[in-house]
Amino acid sequence: MEKLFNNIAESVLDGDIKETKRLTEEAIEKNATAKEILNKGLLKGMNEVGVLFKEGELFVPEVLISAKAMDTGMQIIKPLIKEGDIKKSGKCLFATVKGDLHDIGKKLVSMMLEGAGYEVINLGVDTSPEKIVEAVKEHQPDILGMSAMLTTTMANMNDTIKALEENGLADKVKIMVGGAPVSPNYAESIGVNYSSDAHSAVELANKLMK
Amino acid sequence: MGRRNRKNQFPGGLTGGLYKPLTDEKIQKIHKAAMKVFEETGIEVNDERALKAFNEAGADVDFDKKIVRAKEDWILEKISTAPEAVTLYGRDEKHNMVLDGYDVYIGTGGTATNALDLETGERKPSNLEDVQKAARLVDALENIHYFVISCFPNELEKENIDVNRFYAALRNTTKHVMGGVYTREGIENITKYAEEIAGGRDKLLEKPFLSFITCIMSPLVMDKDYTDLMIAAIESGLPLATPTAPMAGSTSPGSLAGTLVQMTVEALSGVLLTQIIDPGHPVLFSCVPTTSDLRTGAFCFGSIEMGMMNSACSQLSRFYKLPNYTTAGVNESKVPDIQSGYESMATTLLCALSGCNYIHDAAGLIESGLSISYEQYVIDNDILGMCMRAVKGIDVDDNTLAVDVINDVGPAGNFLSHSHTIKNMQGEFFYNKVSDRKTRITWEKEGSLDATERARIMAKDILENYKPNFIPKDVEEKILKDTPGIVQNWLD
Repeated sequence: MEKLFNNIAESVLDGDIKETKRLTEEAIEKNATAKEILNKGLLKGMNEVGVLFKEGELFVPEVLISAKAMDTGMQIIKPLIKEGDIKKSGKCLFATVKGDLHDIGKKLVSMMLEGAGYEVINLGVDTSPEKIVEAVKEHQPDILGMSAMLTTTMANMNDTIKALEENGLADKVKIMVGGAPVSPNYAESIGVNYSSDAHSAVELANKLMK
Repeated sequence: MGRRNRKNQFPGGLTGGLYKPLTDEKIQKIHKAAMKVFEETGIEVNDERALKAFNEAGADVDFDKKIVRAKEDWILEKISTAPEAVTLYGRDEKHNMVLDGYDVYIGTGGTATNALDLETGERKPSNLEDVQKAARLVDALENIHYFVISCFPNELEKENIDVNRFYAALRNTTKHVMGGVYTREGIENITKYAEEIAGGRDKLLEKPFLSFITCIMSPLVMDKDYTDLMIAAIESGLPLATPTAPMAGSTSPGSLAGTLVQMTVEALSGVLLTQIIDPGHPVLFSCVPTTSDLRTGAFCFGSIEMGMMNSACSQLSRFYKLPNYTTAGVNESKVPDIQSGYESMATTLLCALSGCNYIHDAAGLIESGLSISYEQYVIDNDILGMCMRAVKGIDVDDNTLAVDVINDVGPAGNFLSHSHTIKNMQGEFFYNKVSDRKTRITWEKEGSLDATERARIMAKDILENYKPNFIPKDVEEKILKDTPGIVQNWLD
């Protein structure tokens, strides 16, 4: 059985979605618990992915495929998961702010966070403060992420924060921002958190969730 | 769980030729001009045996003035015995190089007399330890395809230089080793221990993992000492480069074409002597055309014209159906800096794109070749990788056109997690090691290091941790016992 768990981990590391699916089903047939499959297989593989990515051994597309493989396994064991088996990393709401249509960086951050076990709701591009306020009310996320690519649209981050304050939501959600023109100083000036790339965004989210 | 061992997708041996500085008509004109110089001016040969050999083979020899003249038909007939392709082997067969057509290999050069200290940056006279360290570094750097011995061990007596320089190199890299030589005895003793390493003379000649360099002087002189060494090198049976290094404007005409004309005569002289003495001997059409900065008379190893002329040598050598040895990637900078970067890249890229077979001097050398820099080897490893990527060109086929993939992802999607991206991310893109592509904040967190400082860290890491595949212990013991003048203590 231990070998089977290792093979599940290996298949996640290899981003071999079919193999992860097959091995996870095999483990269930052999009466492994969801918790075992998760901790000794799927998460073990994903943790190794994280280490190798940090060392530069794995590239972003490979991390994303590994995350897909892990998710495939998760979907299979979901019905078997009991209360307390999984510690959810957190729920995130992501948006590119008003007037800005750039989103590849934000998508990358979303996918990396999903790979790290977060639930991510993506509001898309050109998202008005009103729309973000509504979404925060509806989804009640732990983290709100905002992205801007242009200096001119960056100011809309601050407008959004003001709108959240007016609705009494600002201290109910942790806020992180990113994008080419954004700097640590700017983030500090509007009272929010900054990360400079997808990898440090995951680290920042983990820190905010502690 | 396993680490992924990524294969080098842009290795030596990829085929260049996209850049052609000369048209067929220009090649013909340079050839005809070179033949005219050979027939009318001739070359000066300061070695009695060489003069006799030229004479007996049918050249027009003036023994009083030591001038050899020859006609086009005779020259073309004599060089026709030289192999069109030469294979230079590594001690490890994965480093074998077939110098054929427009296939490209890029490596180091010498012979510097100084080395920049990796700790202090101070320029010091180079020593045997520097030869060993440079060889070891090159063994570890994946985009440097062979090792031309880097520097001169200033602390040794002249008669002991050859055996120790070559052994320092051979011991620390399994890539092909080529080097200049200083004494006839040196050549003979190196050949002896190389036979020992190969397991016999037959095996050495079948797969020569080392080769020699003996020079021709510009303008138009086969020097007394160098020609003696050239003959000794031919007798060793090992492959040979006979480079000539005209400096446009001072030791050759102040024009690129004129320099190529004179250089062609000189390069062919080396091939001729080799083929007359030993028909079929593996020899390279060996070119080091350089320029002079006429504002000061300074020698220029990193000028753009040098890159252009060396690129043309791939075309000239193929006109004569010979493999070539060319020169690029050196620079005039005194330290590894922006100048050493752009000068190295410019000339190496031109030569690589033109399909030069054996581009030497292209790693580690600064200060017009007077000094080596360990940081520069690491930086040049990136430059060489970029050049090989450019040589590979843009593949266009169903896979790379990716019509289905574009359809699959559709408008407003992304390609980052598509299996097509994973499938192609190694073969389509080169990943620099020294170049910093991180965000500014990450760069600042890591100490705001510039490229040279990052290269220094990487060089130190390799020299501290990397172990090459040494010569087997029993063979080494015998070599150290039998070879006169060989040093007994070597870097572990």
